[in-house]
Amino acid sequence: MAGSALRRLMAEYKQLTLNPPEGIIAGPINEENFFEWEALITGPEGTCFEGGVFPAKLIFPPDYPLSPPKMQFTCEMFHPNIYSDGRVCISILHAPGDDPMGYESSAERWSPVQSVEKILLSVVSMLAEPNDESGANVDAAKMWRENREEFNRIAERIVRRTLGIPT
Amino acid sequence: MRAVGVSLISVALTTIVIANAYYQKKQFYPSVVYITKSNPSMAVIYIQAFILVLLAGKLTRKIFFGQLRTAEFEHLMERAWYAITETCLAFTVFRDDFNPKFVALFTLLLFLKSFHWLAEDRVDYMERSPVISWLFHVRVLSLLLVLGSLDYLFVQHAYLSTMTKGASVQLVFGFEYAILLTMVVNIAIKYILHAIDLNSDTPWENKAVFLLYTELIMGLIKVILYVAFVVIMVRIYTLPLFAFRPMYYTIRNFKKAFNDVILSRRAIHNMNTLYPDATPEELQAADNVCIICREEMTTASKKLPCNHIFHTACLRSWFQRQQTCPTCRLNILRTTPTNNAQQQRQEQRPRAQPVPNPFVGPNPFVNFNPFQQLLNQNVPNPNVQAPAQDANQQGGTPNVTPTQNTQAGSSTSQQQANVPPFGMPPFMPFPFFPFVSQPPVPPQNLRSLSPEELRRMEGNERENVEARIQCLKNIQVMLDAAVLMMQQYSASVAISATMPVPQTASSTPESTSTVNTETVASNSSPKDNVTTSTSTVNNILNSSSSSSENATNSNSPSDNKIPSNLSAEEELRRRRLQRFQQPAEQQQ
Ligand SMILES: [Zn+2]
Ligand SMILES: [Zn+2]
Repeated sequence: MAGSALRRLMAEYKQLTLNPPEGIIAGPINEENFFEWEALITGPEGTCFEGGVFPAKLIFPPDYPLSPPKMQFTCEMFHPNIYSDGRVCISILHAPGDDPMGYESSAERWSPVQSVEKILLSVVSMLAEPNDESGANVDAAKMWRENREEFNRIAERIVRRTLGIPT
Repeated sequence: MRAVGVSLISVALTTIVIANAYYQKKQFYPSVVYITKSNPSMAVIYIQAFILVLLAGKLTRKIFFGQLRTAEFEHLMERAWYAITETCLAFTVFRDDFNPKFVALFTLLLFLKSFHWLAEDRVDYMERSPVISWLFHVRVLSLLLVLGSLDYLFVQHAYLSTMTKGASVQLVFGFEYAILLTMVVNIAIKYILHAIDLNSDTPWENKAVFLLYTELIMGLIKVILYVAFVVIMVRIYTLPLFAFRPMYYTIRNFKKAFNDVILSRRAIHNMNTLYPDATPEELQAADNVCIICREEMTTASKKLPCNHIFHTACLRSWFQRQQTCPTCRLNILRTTPTNNAQQQRQEQRPRAQPVPNPFVGPNPFVNFNPFQQLLNQNVPNPNVQAPAQDANQQGGTPNVTPTQNTQAGSSTSQQQANVPPFGMPPFMPFPFFPFVSQPPVPPQNLRSLSPEELRRMEGNERENVEARIQCLKNIQVMLDAAVLMMQQYSASVAISATMPVPQTASSTPESTSTVNTETVASNSSPKDNVTTSTSTVNNILNSSSSSSENATNSNSPSDNKIPSNLSAEEELRRRRLQRFQQPAEQQQ
């Protein structure tokens, strides 16, 4: 019998393949290693990220689902909740007690009840509605608050870049 | 590509150096002497040797590991960097012994170390990959065998050398290889555990526990080795700075393993004592998929106080990290063990019936009147005692009837209310159990005290003081009981306020009271308050006179005498006093 983390990841992969949520594709990069996934996230409609297809990778810990995975966009991103190196900072990816930002409520924290699908859906809603209190990218947060037009322009440029359209 | 270029250049340089020497001296030995005398030539030869060693390392790596994964490679590089800096630090201590042989030995040590790290990563990887080929097993097994025997040989060599020639740099090697040997043993145990798990058809639940203890014991051995090494080094040479970083990590790992073992033991203990096994019916009724592993629950599942069900093994590993329900984040440590143990015992008895939910139970007062308990103990009056016991025995059953009625509606409303009882003090569900065992003797009436007893409370002798203290203690227990009862009262008021009260519930106490004597009826009266006047329950405690009138309307006839301007608290106190006096009067 394979390890429990592996079995759960395989179950989630199967589930995601059978019933893929809209605008999200995710799966292991290499089926010999189920602990590294890649995901493609479509920018939510009606937002400045609309139309973009953003690649990201998910790294799962050996004790998944007891500990949360790490998620990192592999394309350029400009967003209040995404570090400049692409790492995503949302509460669902942190266990209670592990609080890099210090103001996330415990309700949305990681627990085994969460899943890859829920993480990716949270990321989609994060793209739609940034939490400008979380300062993963302070510049982006400031711009989102004070200069929305400029923010939208940068987002549009990123969207075009992910689609391979010259900017 | 770059590596190939470097090695080609090196080979070319070496060829030039050798060709040059041979061209000048024409003979083998003079050429060798020429090369060893010339510094530039020696540099080239050393570089060539180094590259050859690297190539040999790559070759063995290819044989034993095949292609390295990115993570493995990064891990290797990171650790290698630290190991090299530490080796340089070690050179400073043994600068007197510095010679090519010494460097070669350290290089060899580094190489073997890197193979140990890779083997460790590989064996950990077993848990992660769905495809483990026979080649994998052959590679790991042969590698472990080779590494283990090499480590053993080096330890032995270092030991003999230190014994015969005295302390030297061999001390460091012996110690390093001893550490590596423990590492090999650790990896081998892990490999065996993983292999057993891989070959079994069902998940091996205790594997995590075995791994934990392996980690603990190996950690302990390593810590002992490091401490011994540092002590010896300080005695013979100086403080071995190069050993501090690995020692720190070893101690930290050991501490972590120790903590993990404690947490795991606690989790297992909690699991076995606090939470009931889920019954097959419950497994059928629930969604039946364990939220932790996303697999069906067929056996060995536990139910938490919040009614969420999980695999025992899954829950155990989760509790090692957090003591909350994975689904609703209820903090399970806030419910005290005794309370839960009681609850479990209660639940085991009427297992066939739907488990009476203690929090919805609308008549917690029927069986939990401490004063009633006290009276039962003190008063040898069959009239009072028999029905009271009756009520106690029925405590299980009357609980069930209304619960069944309300269960459908209340189970949802209870969840909406977010299970308030756990915010309550821990004695909530079965609040007065503590008093069953140790009932104090209430001062029933001053008249009932004999002159001797009165005299005993006077005076200054020790026994007088003790008697007085005992009396005060009794009063304290009585007060505690009263406080408990008030809390119980307000808690059930709060609960019943949050849910619709079915009409049938109010009829239950009536049926009890008609069967029993008047005493019991008055005992169950607080329950009437709760069930019949839910709309005004809060007012009862707010000492609003009208509501107290409302509330007492349904009480036993004797209560109707009370003036309506009495506050709820006074009314309660009065009723309690009445209950004290009743048996006293009956006695006389
Ligand atoms: Zn499970
Ligand atoms: Zn729960």
